[in-house]
Amino acid sequence: MILPAVLAIIIFFGSLVIIFSEKLHRSITAIAGGALMVIVGRILNFYSEEAALEAIDFNTLGLLLGMMLLVAMLEPTGFFQYLAVLAARASKGKPVRLFVLLSVVTTILAMFLDNVTTVVIIAPVTLLICEIIGISPLPFLMSEALLSNTGGVATLIGDPPNVLIGSAAGFSFNDFLVHSLPIVLFAWAGALFLLLHLFKKDLSIHPRSVKAVMQLNPAETLNEPLVARRILIVLAGAILFFFIHHALHVSPSLVALSAAAMALVWVRPELDDLFKRIEWSVLIFFASLFVMVGGLEAAGVLEAVTGLMERVSSIPPLLFGVALIWIVAVLSAVVDNVPITIALIPVIRGLGASGMEVDPLWWALAFGAGFGGSGTIIGATANIIVVSLSEKTRTPITSKIWNRRGLPVMLATCSIASILYAILYSTF
Amino acid sequence: MNVSSCMKKNVVSISATATVREAAAIIVSKHIGLLPVVDKDQKPVGVIGMRDLLTLELPDFVSFVVDVDFVHDFGAVETTRPSAQTLDKSVKSLMKPAITVEEDCGLLRAYALMLQHNLHDMLVVSKDGKLIGVASRVDIGVAVLSSWGKI
Repeated sequence: MILPAVLAIIIFFGSLVIIFSEKLHRSITAIAGGALMVIVGRILNFYSEEAALEAIDFNTLGLLLGMMLLVAMLEPTGFFQYLAVLAARASKGKPVRLFVLLSVVTTILAMFLDNVTTVVIIAPVTLLICEIIGISPLPFLMSEALLSNTGGVATLIGDPPNVLIGSAAGFSFNDFLVHSLPIVLFAWAGALFLLLHLFKKDLSIHPRSVKAVMQLNPAETLNEPLVARRILIVLAGAILFFFIHHALHVSPSLVALSAAAMALVWVRPELDDLFKRIEWSVLIFFASLFVMVGGLEAAGVLEAVTGLMERVSSIPPLLFGVALIWIVAVLSAVVDNVPITIALIPVIRGLGASGMEVDPLWWALAFGAGFGGSGTIIGATANIIVVSLSEKTRTPITSKIWNRRGLPVMLATCSIASILYAILYSTF
Repeated sequence: MNVSSCMKKNVVSISATATVREAAAIIVSKHIGLLPVVDKDQKPVGVIGMRDLLTLELPDFVSFVVDVDFVHDFGAVETTRPSAQTLDKSVKSLMKPAITVEEDCGLLRAYALMLQHNLHDMLVVSKDGKLIGVASRVDIGVAVLSSWGKI
């Protein structure tokens, strides 16, 4: 059994190295790695095609696809711009108030919708609002990315690592609200105050034209009010069912896909346009990573890891959890947090199999993967989006600027999470 | 009929070493929309247009927000001016590649090239590549349409 294990490890870690080096698109690497794993598995007879199919977590994929479809239908209605303009008017052009309101709107959207899409749509409107009142958009763009990343950790559907963890550990939507949301609220508030302090100078500038923001009419930003209303009704229904999915013995993916189906039937959007806004490459990336991890499992690698883990489990569990938050956070700051999460899921499962109480570790993984992304520009997709947008403007966000604000946010949120985690450990 | 019969022959041009500020001054004083950039042999090396200059003042959000109809007041943006640093850059940093036709080029070919490259003015060069004229869409269009009355 040594050869299959060695080859499976080479294929998996080789793919991870290529993904992290960004020499090849991550989805292409994952497809190639997944196919190679199955081919080698068939030749050496350790991994069948049926097993590869079974290894794909369709609960994760279904939940992601369902939510992507809903957001893709909501996006062209102008609803996101509508909220941003409402926030801008409510701020009356006062920079600090605008900063808080836009951050709150972005975070709430990111808690229930894909935060990458949220930032993609909110960032241009933010640029617009800042330019017409005459202040630098830089603090606003950065805080939207940082705070939506932080806020997304609060819910099952807020963040891809959470979807993965929820599915692997069997955590319900409410489990996240009970265990993750309270800690995220503190971490988020801490991050907001820190950012207000770090951007104090930029936010104390008196805007030149407050009048312009009051001339914005939110109603005019809604291109399709009827469609927006229908999708929001469906979305509200979906969120309601997320609260009770566990009691009904229904998976979150069925809730999300049913909601998407209902919205599709009700709205009947132009499909070609809609499908262009779905991130198929993300879904393929996830599916391919699952196939690779399935190969590792079939080759007996995970059993060996579990054996090793038995020694690790002699470490005090609380210390182990806090260490996990920081290790995962540092890794997530420098590389994509999805492969890290997918790779660590079997490890935590292994620890569970060796008799350790692993529920607290799942939460540690969620906090580390979520908060670590703030540390660097490449730590989270939302960061990359606001930075590449800002590079096409007069006020580009450089890595120096990011490191001075993002890194403190990462350290603060991880510290707050670690302290609260240690205090609340017994309840996890 | 070819393009040389309808082009304007008194062409105003600028050298590649001139600044953006100087280009703007010529465009203002001559009331023109396009300024050919030429080397010392009068050969075109690029063009700098009204649009390239106005982009310097246009707010960033215009290129990101698909539909700006709901913005009734551009506020602070209306009084924004490019920095002195931007205005002192050479026209070379802003110019677009020059698309030219030779003087014996037919009217419809010249017009088709302008459509495809989204140009409002076409530079006309002599056989040895020197800039000898500029033909606008209106110049070419009027020359083409003038034959219609004779049918």
